[in-house]
Amino acid sequence: MTSGRLALLSVVIAVGTVVAYALLLGVPSVRNHPEGYVAAFAIAATVAGLAVALRRRWYAWLALGLSLLLFAGGAYINFVLARIPAEPTVLRVGERPPDFTLTDASGRQVSLAEYRGKKPVVLVFYRGYW
Amino acid sequence: MAELQGLGAALSEAERAGVEVVAVSPDRNEQSQRLANGLHVNYRFLADPDLSVTRSYGLIHRRGGPGGVDVPRPATVVLDRDGVVRWLSLSDNYQIRPDPGDVLRAVRTL
Repeated sequence: MTSGRLALLSVVIAVGTVVAYALLLGVPSVRNHPEGYVAAFAIAATVAGLAVALRRRWYAWLALGLSLLLFAGGAYINFVLARIPAEPTVLRVGERPPDFTLTDASGRQVSLAEYRGKKPVVLVFYRGYW
Repeated sequence: MAELQGLGAALSEAERAGVEVVAVSPDRNEQSQRLANGLHVNYRFLADPDLSVTRSYGLIHRRGGPGGVDVPRPATVVLDRDGVVRWLSLSDNYQIRPDPGDVLRAVRTL
């Protein structure tokens, strides 16, 4: 393979990974394996590295720069930014969590205790706004 | 809100009637209502704007939000009819959310 084709392949892998991950975010097996995108960027960087080794042209360096940037960014997001430090546990299987009363979208006060003896509850805590 | 969408899609009509999905976030209710309308699901969105309930559950991600604000740590808890925790999903990586299939399996074994 020529340096040019390798450089192009590297860019296709790198950009393709970004697009695929964004499109497939709703698929749990994709979303829950973010190390996959880090690995894909590493592959793109390796391919670009080969391109540079073959011919030190600007396009090979550009491909290497792009894939290394994405690799560094992806690794930072996955191993640093997205990590949540451990907190003391309150929730435990087999125990009852604290009761609470919060307002729902129609303005009604809702207590967790209301559901006892009536329905199972799937309680989802999420970050909101983003 | 891929997780909430996934749950909604996975629960059958009968299940939706028999289980209450309660979503708690610091969002004010107007924002949650817009989200609910977009999702076309019947969840109960509860607002915890000062994070007091989230804090009482030990689910704070300290300085994890924009500008260093405290944000909730994503968590999914399945409670049985006695209000006892039967299944729990906490992650140390906020990109990772429980598979709706796993949540449903937990609900179906209650």
